[in-house]
Amino acid sequence: MNDFVQQCRREWKRLRVPDHLADEMAADLAADLHEAEAEGASVEDVLGSGASDPRSFAASWAAERAVVPPPRLRARLPRTALVLGAIAGLTLVTAIGAALVIFASPDASAPTIAIRVPDEMRGPRAPTGWPRVRIPPSPAYTSPQAARGVWIQHDGRGVLLAERHGSGVEINKVGSILLIVGLVGVVPAMLFLFWSSRARREYSF
Amino acid sequence: MRYKGYTATMHRMAAHEGRRSQLLRGVLDLCLLAVVEEEPAYGYEMTKRLRARGLSIVGEGSIYPLLGRLERDGLVDTYRAASNGGPPRKYYRLTRDGQRAFAAGVSEWRAARDAVDAVLAGVEGEVPV
Repeated sequence: MNDFVQQCRREWKRLRVPDHLADEMAADLAADLHEAEAEGASVEDVLGSGASDPRSFAASWAAERAVVPPPRLRARLPRTALVLGAIAGLTLVTAIGAALVIFASPDASAPTIAIRVPDEMRGPRAPTGWPRVRIPPSPAYTSPQAARGVWIQHDGRGVLLAERHGSGVEINKVGSILLIVGLVGVVPAMLFLFWSSRARREYSF
Repeated sequence: MRYKGYTATMHRMAAHEGRRSQLLRGVLDLCLLAVVEEEPAYGYEMTKRLRARGLSIVGEGSIYPLLGRLERDGLVDTYRAASNGGPPRKYYRLTRDGQRAFAAGVSEWRAARDAVDAVLAGVEGEVPV
């Protein structure tokens, strides 16, 4: 009879029943079995058909008392559902990547310089006598790490503020990476799903 | 021929046991509520009281999971008290919800029993197994 209680304890431990509740159930069961034994009754007299299968008995008791912690998400979800979820996610990543590669213009995200011109300097032509300044391309204001703006000063007046626009993130590159990651993930996942469903068909009786 | 007769008898006995199990499974909770309605009791004490009235659970499911369910559903609550010379035991007693559920269960059982009795009333004597 003691062995029966020990097997129940092991099952409760496996099911992660809190120790104090497992102790309580084990103590109640041991006391009942001890009393029955003293009266000449069998384990079957006390436990009915549960006497033949301690693990099922222990699991059933714990479940009915609602003292078994809920299984973790991974254990609750069947493997097929997890793979299908992964395929759906990777397909979405692939689609987003493909859309970015196809529809984003190559220079959409390239860093640009816009010159904010003071109102008095606006006109169809440059004011007479003003020098023309050419700004050659330079990483100082075109690279992603460039400062947000350029302050240009001429002869102590006529100040121009050049602001840098664009995030510096190259959308096409991001799209390509997403496309590759999605394709690399989704193909093996689909192969695994196909293989596992085929294996189930072969081994089901 | 003799073997066939033996097999048929075994099948009939198995069917009989199966029906008894199913009937008992449907009303065992009601029987436990009836036991603790009379007087609070601990697990093995309930088994003894049921047996004293001719209801043995040998071969049937255990009462412990059922007691767990009754406790979880709030139909019984528990307390610890010393038993006769033994360690403190977990006693079960009926709650107010349990009293209502017990009354409803008894009505349902009697209605079902009367209906079945009415159907079987035409059967005379014992039917040979």
